[in-house]
Amino acid sequence: MSKTPAAHVEAASTLAVVLSSHEPLLYLTADQVIIAASASFCSAFDLELAILPGKRLGAVGNGEWAMPKLASLLEATAAGSAQIDSYEIDLKRPDRKTRNLVVNACTLEDGDTDHIRLLVSVTDVTDARANARLNDDLVREKAVLLQEVQHRVANSLQIIASVLMQSARKVQSEEVRGHLHNAHHRVMSIAAVQRQLSISPGGDVEIRSYLTQLCNSLGASMIADPDRLSISVLVDDSSVTAEVSISLGLIVTELVINALKHAFPDQATGKIVVGYQTKGSDWTLSVTDNGIGMPEGSSAPRAGLGTGIVEALTKNLGGELQLTEANPGTAIRISHCGSVDHHKDIRPAA
Amino acid sequence: MRARFVRVPANAGSFIRNEKQMKNGTHIVLVVEDSALIRMGAIDLVRSAGYEALEACDADEAIRILESRDDIDLVFTDVQMPGTMDGIKLSHYIRDRWPPVKLLIASGAAIIGASSLPSGSQFSSKPYDDHEIIDVMTRLLASDGMSFTKVPD
Repeated sequence: MSKTPAAHVEAASTLAVVLSSHEPLLYLTADQVIIAASASFCSAFDLELAILPGKRLGAVGNGEWAMPKLASLLEATAAGSAQIDSYEIDLKRPDRKTRNLVVNACTLEDGDTDHIRLLVSVTDVTDARANARLNDDLVREKAVLLQEVQHRVANSLQIIASVLMQSARKVQSEEVRGHLHNAHHRVMSIAAVQRQLSISPGGDVEIRSYLTQLCNSLGASMIADPDRLSISVLVDDSSVTAEVSISLGLIVTELVINALKHAFPDQATGKIVVGYQTKGSDWTLSVTDNGIGMPEGSSAPRAGLGTGIVEALTKNLGGELQLTEANPGTAIRISHCGSVDHHKDIRPAA
Repeated sequence: MRARFVRVPANAGSFIRNEKQMKNGTHIVLVVEDSALIRMGAIDLVRSAGYEALEACDADEAIRILESRDDIDLVFTDVQMPGTMDGIKLSHYIRDRWPPVKLLIASGAAIIGASSLPSGSQFSSKPYDDHEIIDVMTRLLASDGMSFTKVPD
């Protein structure tokens, strides 16, 4: 009940705070007469500061602030029955674009219940909203482009895989067919990394699911009798960068192919275990089989492309290659000790 | 039914449905793929598995072929293709219009939500492994089609 507003003297400090606020502010009586407005309010909505005090909010400008919804909300706020918390409303002015406003309002009470005051902040979020929309569009566009690139990569790899498999089916020589199959396995090993990357947004490859998928696919295409030969994967929870995972995958591909081909010539059953364990920045990759072991001396086969690939990639990873007799079988271990951390986000030296 | 010269696959004998046995035919797979080399490889793969292969380079051609004959058992389609429909739309169209036709969908996208694929269809991500594709085809062709009876209109 503001019966005699004229007799009431507003605190000068309150008026000064309102006037100098960076955020557009209005200081109103309970019946929505302007006591003070901030300079920022006037410049934001193109109004003249000097003529505002004493005017009803609805009479400001060309009456564009006479919004029934706002008036009733402010009335309810003054009466203490509502609170305006980030209320969104559109400001419509003739010959101007509609502005999106966010309104907050509360009562200021200094114990004088006869003179309830409303402090109303009015933020123009039109440009911020437009920017946010633009940002969303850009993010979406980026995701679409990334997906497009992934499709292209997958398709290109499919072309290579298809051509290799067609050649493999057509050639007469068993040896050549073997080489073509190996080439196909190498392509598929890199493709599996690509697949892992497209489902893990961070750019890291979860090594267990990657090596599991890789060994499943090697087993499916190379093992005729799964009851006879098996591959198991014992890997901890670590993740590595895409580059490192490609190298690890190719090494595993070569070693597993080699074991499947040579370790079990006459054995009734055989088992290959692929392991990867980390300790801090150190890691060990191992491929162990319980087959016949490595032939020695003159019966040892000439080192092939597979051996070359394993050695080159091991060196590139800063690892050390170690071959031991497992009795029965062979254990090949590649260990990395040292400062270069291949895990998480740290990129390895090129 | 007119007689056709067909090869009987060595490894498909136990999976042949009665209808096919009457036709003395082998399963027929329609490959839909816009990339010429991948299509060539897929056809070679289908034939190496002992099936008869037909080819289409987009959804429109695939539909024309499906309309022109009634003996196609399985459609093996790519997803991203030029033309009026992509492989997902094509597979839904086929499921609606030719419910018994089995569907195998391959895409460069690693995962396509099962909800966006027609019921009973199978998905493989590209690049696919030939063994995986043959396994899936064998399983699809061995199924008796019961799962298609509940396909909505």
